[in-house]
Amino acid sequence: MSERFAFLGRFARNRGALAGAVIIGLVALAALLAPVFFPTDPLRIVAAPELWPGEDPAFPLGTDSLGRDILSMLVHGARATLLIGLFASAMATVIGIGVGATAGYFGGWIDEAAMRSAELFQTIPNLIFVLTIVVILGSTLQNIVIAIGIVSWTPIARMTRAEFLALRDREFVQACRTMGMGNLGIIVGEILPNALPPVIVLSSLVVAGAVLFESAVSFLGLGDPNIASWGRLVGDGRQLIRSSWYISAIPGLAIMVTVLCLNLIGDGLNDALNPKLRDR
Amino acid sequence: MAGELSGSSRRHVALRLLRRRLVQALPLMLGVVVINFVLIHLAPGSFLELMTAENQVSDPATVELLRKTYGLTDPLWLQLLKYIWALLHLDFGFSYRQNMPVIDAIAINLPATLLLMISSIALAFAVGVAAGVVASAKVRTLWDSLVSVVAMFFFAAPSFWLGIMMIVLFAVKLGWLPVGGMETIGGGGGIVDILRHLLLPTLALGLFYAAIYARVMRSSMLEVSQLDFVRTARAKGLSRRQVTLHHVLRNALLPVVTILGVQMGTVLGGSVVIESVFSWPGVGSLLFDSVSSRNYPVVLGIMVLGALVVIAANIAVDLVYMWLDPRIEIR
Amino acid sequence: MSNVTRRQFGTGVVGAGMVAAGLAGPAIAQEPKRGGTLVATWGGGEPQSCYVPSGGGSSPTFSSSKLFERLGNRRMDGAFEGELAESWKAAADFKSYTVTLRKGVKFHDGKEMTSEDVAYSIDQIWKKYAAAAALGEYAGTETPDASTVIVKFNKATPEFFFSSLVSGGVNYILPKHIYAGSDPVTNPANNAPIGTGPWKFKEWVRGSHFEYVKHDAYWRTGFPYLDKLIIRYLRDPASRAAALEAGEIHIGVFNPVAPPDIKRLTGTGKFVATSKGYEESVWSTSFECNTRNPIFQKREVRQAMFMAVDRALIARTVYYGYARPGTSPIFSLNKEFYTADIFRTDFDPKKAAALLDAAGYPKKGDGKRFTVNLLAAGWFTENGKIGSIVKQGLEDVGIGVNLTVPDRPTSIKRIYTDYDFDLAISNQSNPSEPVPATTQYYTSDGIKKGVPFRNASGFHTDEVDALVDKIRIETDPAKRRAMVVEFQKIVTREAPNLPLLELESITMASTKVQNHSNDPDYLAASWYDIWLAS
Repeated sequence: MSERFAFLGRFARNRGALAGAVIIGLVALAALLAPVFFPTDPLRIVAAPELWPGEDPAFPLGTDSLGRDILSMLVHGARATLLIGLFASAMATVIGIGVGATAGYFGGWIDEAAMRSAELFQTIPNLIFVLTIVVILGSTLQNIVIAIGIVSWTPIARMTRAEFLALRDREFVQACRTMGMGNLGIIVGEILPNALPPVIVLSSLVVAGAVLFESAVSFLGLGDPNIASWGRLVGDGRQLIRSSWYISAIPGLAIMVTVLCLNLIGDGLNDALNPKLRDR
Repeated sequence: MAGELSGSSRRHVALRLLRRRLVQALPLMLGVVVINFVLIHLAPGSFLELMTAENQVSDPATVELLRKTYGLTDPLWLQLLKYIWALLHLDFGFSYRQNMPVIDAIAINLPATLLLMISSIALAFAVGVAAGVVASAKVRTLWDSLVSVVAMFFFAAPSFWLGIMMIVLFAVKLGWLPVGGMETIGGGGGIVDILRHLLLPTLALGLFYAAIYARVMRSSMLEVSQLDFVRTARAKGLSRRQVTLHHVLRNALLPVVTILGVQMGTVLGGSVVIESVFSWPGVGSLLFDSVSSRNYPVVLGIMVLGALVVIAANIAVDLVYMWLDPRIEIR
Repeated sequence: MSNVTRRQFGTGVVGAGMVAAGLAGPAIAQEPKRGGTLVATWGGGEPQSCYVPSGGGSSPTFSSSKLFERLGNRRMDGAFEGELAESWKAAADFKSYTVTLRKGVKFHDGKEMTSEDVAYSIDQIWKKYAAAAALGEYAGTETPDASTVIVKFNKATPEFFFSSLVSGGVNYILPKHIYAGSDPVTNPANNAPIGTGPWKFKEWVRGSHFEYVKHDAYWRTGFPYLDKLIIRYLRDPASRAAALEAGEIHIGVFNPVAPPDIKRLTGTGKFVATSKGYEESVWSTSFECNTRNPIFQKREVRQAMFMAVDRALIARTVYYGYARPGTSPIFSLNKEFYTADIFRTDFDPKKAAALLDAAGYPKKGDGKRFTVNLLAAGWFTENGKIGSIVKQGLEDVGIGVNLTVPDRPTSIKRIYTDYDFDLAISNQSNPSEPVPATTQYYTSDGIKKGVPFRNASGFHTDEVDALVDKIRIETDPAKRRAMVVEFQKIVTREAPNLPLLELESITMASTKVQNHSNDPDYLAASWYDIWLAS
């Protein structure tokens, strides 16, 4: 119990991380309460197009090129953004840990094969890979999550592998083997919990990366048309930057703040989980 | 024993590394070709369907003729083998959509992308490293915090949004810079004209990496300056400036150089978005068009060339790393 | 300029009877200035080849129509005039047409055009590529002498149909000596064409522009006025707007700039925007129901789909007013055949709901009657936006909608090969001759799996099939029109596939450009009489 408090304490000492966590908390709250404050479908046309923020008090952030409420789309979009970030990161983490643990623990040709395939995935430009997969599978939320997960697992795999390489020959592992514990038990029960801290930090950064990927995909027009995506809004406003540049500015700002906070949280997690490696 | 490794044996080591990496590159390239081939053929709708649609061809005999012309009659595995075989002879195939060899189609767009890539990497490196050095020199002062905050901003901002905001500010509102394109149509073409067009896309693409370099450089500088050999150098009486420049900087650059290799790989992906925002006539736009039109040979050609660039960059990074690494010098 | 116009029929602007020979054309206010270079662009991209035998879409048509010519041309006033042909005359049984060719027409390489070139073009190019669907009943050509061609058909062929054929699309007269014996699709001359047109191919800088120069031996003496024509290709509307403003481009056709820029540019007083010049090259956004889905086998349900959509809203918000709500598959500006006396599917959500209730699809517990997959073809960004608006309209009458906006190849495959949709938003062109381009969306012979832009709804009835067969061979213009009116009445009531909007296209031109937009087909216009004031 006290260890958990110590962890939180270390996290909170990083002011930036604290601020980041608070803001992300607010974003998540907004995402959860979206249907309460904005019960209408955010993609409905509700007013005249291209109303500036403040022009009509009913639409504090204005309307887009079709006449949809930007504030409503922003709040509902928070949901999609966070969901995609979390699920894509989860998928990348699962794949990454699986590959990395296997490679690091067993070594030999398994390791070689795993690292070669990781190198392969890293040689193909990420965004193009994601775009192609979305084109293949179709532009739905689930497919975008899968596409991002597929390109994001390599750094996690490498990190996990490095940790496993370092830990597998330690005494406590030898002890477990002598006791007759099977490989799976050792991997999951003994080594993994110790290897997790740096991996968690990396996963949180993957969430930020996933948010950026999704917004780029939606910006290019390949996003899910049934959800209010921040990236799609930025793309929508692209043609109107002379007259209504707020349409691109506002959702982009939201993306930036979210990614910033996620990065800050990652820093805080780093401080909290790896006190030995802390920066000055 | 400082400087013990002679010039010729350093060259020896470098050549061995080069050869080993080149050999490793072959299966990697093969993997790239196979994966991309499979991916692009998995996409629904084929090149044949698209071309017959655009050409309004309904006569089945003509459709079959076109299928043969495009080389799509063979089973997929045979198409793949034929492609690999041609590739080994440096034949990238023919783009029926542009009616020219794939290499020519790519070559038209390549200079623009290379220009953008090189300038954004150079900018990122110069600005990032300088900022990192300054921050480390003035650690925990206002300058340090300023660099950190600004770096965070550029690290989090999506590049396409940054690009659009810069266009709004500098092109639409202030009118200082052009809205897009690579040169003024029908007029310009001079160096100054191109540089004016190049500035915003370079910033949009490069500032993200500048932020990373700044951060990494800062912590790297701080870390290296604590190391033994630096203290030794200082103890020997070398000036602070000399120590910083010759010893600290050189070694602090190592992690940055590693990331430089990574940046090469992602710049092509990033350029797809930036070229779209700035109407930059580069390979990124060609790639996006080609995926959208299932132009298999062009997509494969660009991916293969992109992979070559990444592999070459990584080899270069390894060589530079070796050159910078003090252990070789000091051992 | 000797224009002998053809016999004109229909209830068009010009009455029946021959229009006098030697009509000089619209009065020109100033004296045309000779010389200079015109730089043009259009709202699309660079073509894959300068000329594509089967058409290849709008881009190669735009680039090749300056270099090649057709036997005839349709004028703004609706009359057909001879270009490479002086005249054409139907036989008494309408099973053949005798075409008298113009003499002294030279190709760009100096060779003279003869009936051999015409016969070759019809036999080898039109029949196989350019007009295959229209030439179903084609029975060959005869060339009794160098200036006469007799075109034969198996069945009686209406004169309007034949005039449209020889004046339409990419039905050019190609040089036999260049193309005979080769595969026309891959002939390298397609990238450096040799035709009879006012412009001669000079250079193609790929990724940038075409350069054409004046054809000195052009058969219309005294034309063209300009020395050079350059067609530039730019990737996006913002660049084109910038180029127009900078004076680097003089004219852009087919919506070169985004609607907000249209207002801005015309506001400077240095540019004009016109929607003239597109009368023969009209596009619509179509909405169709897949009748393979049992829900859409009832016509009332289909009618309800259309009544649930607010077309005026789409015209306002998506097209900034540059579109008209569609009503009939025949374009409303088609004077020959359009009628307003059709079954109306105007926006009426209450009526739509009532129709759905009566058809046996009441609202269930969750407020939904049924759920459908709506596919908006992603080749125009507007279609995606229209998809959102249609989705909203349908949801308002209790229909659940899953919207997808796939890219071009996927859309083509899903709509026209896999028929993998319930509702689809696509685009159609609507030439003034309804057979076969418009009618094939409603007949069984229009159902060709795997061929794009054909009957994808699967709708067909014996009644409509028979009616269209009659329309195809009816030579009396009044009777023919009556049949097409009947066709529209039936088809609008059945509502399997109707236009949501008739799209208006815009040409942006500098005020310096004279004599532009004076041809009803912006793609096919050869620009022989365009000139630049200083």
